Amino acid sequence: MSVADFSRRHRLRIGAAAALLAVVVVAALLDLPGAQLLTVGTAERTLRSATPIALAAIGGLYAEKSGVFNIGLEGFMIFGALAAAAAAWMLSGGGSITQAQLWFGIAAAVVVCSVLTAVFAVLTIRYEADQIVAGLAVWFIGLGFGPFVATVIWGGVSSPVLPNVDNVTVPGLASIPVLGRLLFDVSPLVLLTILVAVVAWVVLYRTRYGYWVQAAGENPEALDTAGVDVNRVRYASVVLSGALAGLAGASLSIGFGSGFTGTGATMVDGRGWIAIVAYLFGNYNPLGAFGASLLFGATDMLQIQLQTIGVSLPSSITELFPYVTVLVVLTLVGYTRVPDAVGEPYETEE
Amino acid sequence: MLGATVLERFAIAVASTLLALLLGSLVVAASGYNPVRFGYALVYGAFGSLSNVAFMLRQSTMLILAGVAVAVAFRAGVFNIGVQGQFVVGGFATALTVLFLAPHLPGGALGGVLLVCLGTVAAVLSGGAYAAIPGLMKAYADANEVITTIMLNFIASGVIFFLVNGYLRPPDAVAPNTQPFPDYVDLPSVAFASPSFSVIGLGIALATVVVAYVVVNRTRFGYDLVTAGHQQAAAAYSGVDPERNVVATMVFSGMIAGLAGAVFAVMILGYYSDPATFPRFGFDAIAVSLLAANNPLGVVPAGLLFGSLDAGGQYIDFTLNIPAELVDGIIGLVVLFVATPELFRMAGRHTGLGGRGSKESRSGQPESDGGDEA
Repeated sequence: MSVADFSRRHRLRIGAAAALLAVVVVAALLDLPGAQLLTVGTAERTLRSATPIALAAIGGLYAEKSGVFNIGLEGFMIFGALAAAAAAWMLSGGGSITQAQLWFGIAAAVVVCSVLTAVFAVLTIRYEADQIVAGLAVWFIGLGFGPFVATVIWGGVSSPVLPNVDNVTVPGLASIPVLGRLLFDVSPLVLLTILVAVVAWVVLYRTRYGYWVQAAGENPEALDTAGVDVNRVRYASVVLSGALAGLAGASLSIGFGSGFTGTGATMVDGRGWIAIVAYLFGNYNPLGAFGASLLFGATDMLQIQLQTIGVSLPSSITELFPYVTVLVVLTLVGYTRVPDAVGEPYETEE
Repeated sequence: MLGATVLERFAIAVASTLLALLLGSLVVAASGYNPVRFGYALVYGAFGSLSNVAFMLRQSTMLILAGVAVAVAFRAGVFNIGVQGQFVVGGFATALTVLFLAPHLPGGALGGVLLVCLGTVAAVLSGGAYAAIPGLMKAYADANEVITTIMLNFIASGVIFFLVNGYLRPPDAVAPNTQPFPDYVDLPSVAFASPSFSVIGLGIALATVVVAYVVVNRTRFGYDLVTAGHQQAAAAYSGVDPERNVVATMVFSGMIAGLAGAVFAVMILGYYSDPATFPRFGFDAIAVSLLAANNPLGVVPAGLLFGSLDAGGQYIDFTLNIPAELVDGIIGLVVLFVATPELFRMAGRHTGLGGRGSKESRSGQPESDGGDEA
């Protein structure tokens, strides 16, 4: 990384920080009660809202680091949301669903999406499909087959109301003020996401496998020369991105939500696309991606907070905050330095 | 697909569609429906009666218009996934123009023609302006247009729902709809007695195809656009300002998308409503354009094919109770296969002597040898 490159990126960061500051200043000028906006409840909802975005983002950044732009995250999340709800519902035989069955549903979503991304990986890596177009296709397939399969199972594009995963409450620690509610009385999926972010960071930057992933995207020839199968590393990274997108989808339908919704843009509502921006904003760093997801999660939750403090904006407008934030972030950050070999199929010269 | 010849592209388009339909039928069978009845109903829904044909042509008209919008951008290497949003914005501009000017203009045929023309101009301008946003963001801030255009689709839908629901909906109305347009604001029915399809609409779509083809293939602007899409360096060397070219491409594409919105508002709806409930022509148009190898002329057969699928899909929904979303999934599969020409080239090579793949291989293989330079 050259000095000029670094300073440019730095400037963009400063720009982003300035934009955030501007938002705060505007809020202060409008005399919004900041203290009421920043409550433990807000933080908790922000974590929940950030979870699906962060999971998909961390998977997506592994795929892109390894050289495959998985732009189909949105579609895989739709399949994940559907698979989780369908598996849990079928296992219960349509009756009341137990916690164990919900967890089985989450596992099913991970497996289903891993298999689907394996197919996507074969098409993009082995058959050299155009990654952008194939990723868009995954989205369209999800938008079509998601509600279709839901109709076959439930007779309508959405599932009936399903329960969601219980919070994990640590007795004693949960009564610590602020932290207790945030970390010790919380959805296990939130904890899992934090764990995934940390492990993903350690693996990517502190293990040999992480270096392979980075080399597969930056300099596949060198990795090949070192005797590592480039495409095998890419397959593993892409399948990981699918597994995490499946988990992200499951967190929407039965993690926090109450079943699968198949209307409109489905319940994923662009979070897969926001996830891509999250890891770009986080500069391909899993912890950075997690931080960016928190930002998008916070804008998503802003509407509830504005309502509770009595600022009356119609929900059809406040729902647009995350999308507007994405545009602002993308404009300020631009396209961060993409791994060199992204989008290029690699063929060994034997 | 850029390096392939016309014949090879055609073979890949046909093979992609057939493979997607085959997989769709397997899904139908696996879901417990009869695939033969599914296939028959799909065809009957598109061509079985005069009113079915009118509906098929109506869907095709929209897909051809939106498909051309996608094609001119893709041709220049710009992924305009925002045609849906530009289409929604264009239609809204038409609705605003018609509803606000109608009381001030004479009624009858003259007023109708005037309002339709003014509404169309408003749609074209606003569609182009809305497309300029992601164009400027890509050109000057390096923001990935796939993501910005998708975000702008959500934003267009949300803001217009807010405006229609909050300001344009008559006080006693239950649904979030505007007032209906005056009766005389419509494209007259010719040949088909359908209230929501006019041959004139199809004519507008075909005229747009011709204009887009001429612009892309016979003008300086089109030459710059295509060279910039395929050979950045060569384009810059010949004096093309790449940033300005990206913005111009998006605006041109968005103007056509806006026109599609005008046709939708005038010919099909006759009022305006919640955009989230509109058909996703802008997305299906991506499949149309890809199948047509981003050639404006190829958009016509591709648009007719997807229009037929769409009409057939709606028919199976209300006769066989097979959800119409299935067809959206099949269209997604077509996109996936079109993105993967190598799959068919390999299939062609492996089954070169007879067998199911022989047709593709015979038309695909000789060209793929000569056409691999890209």
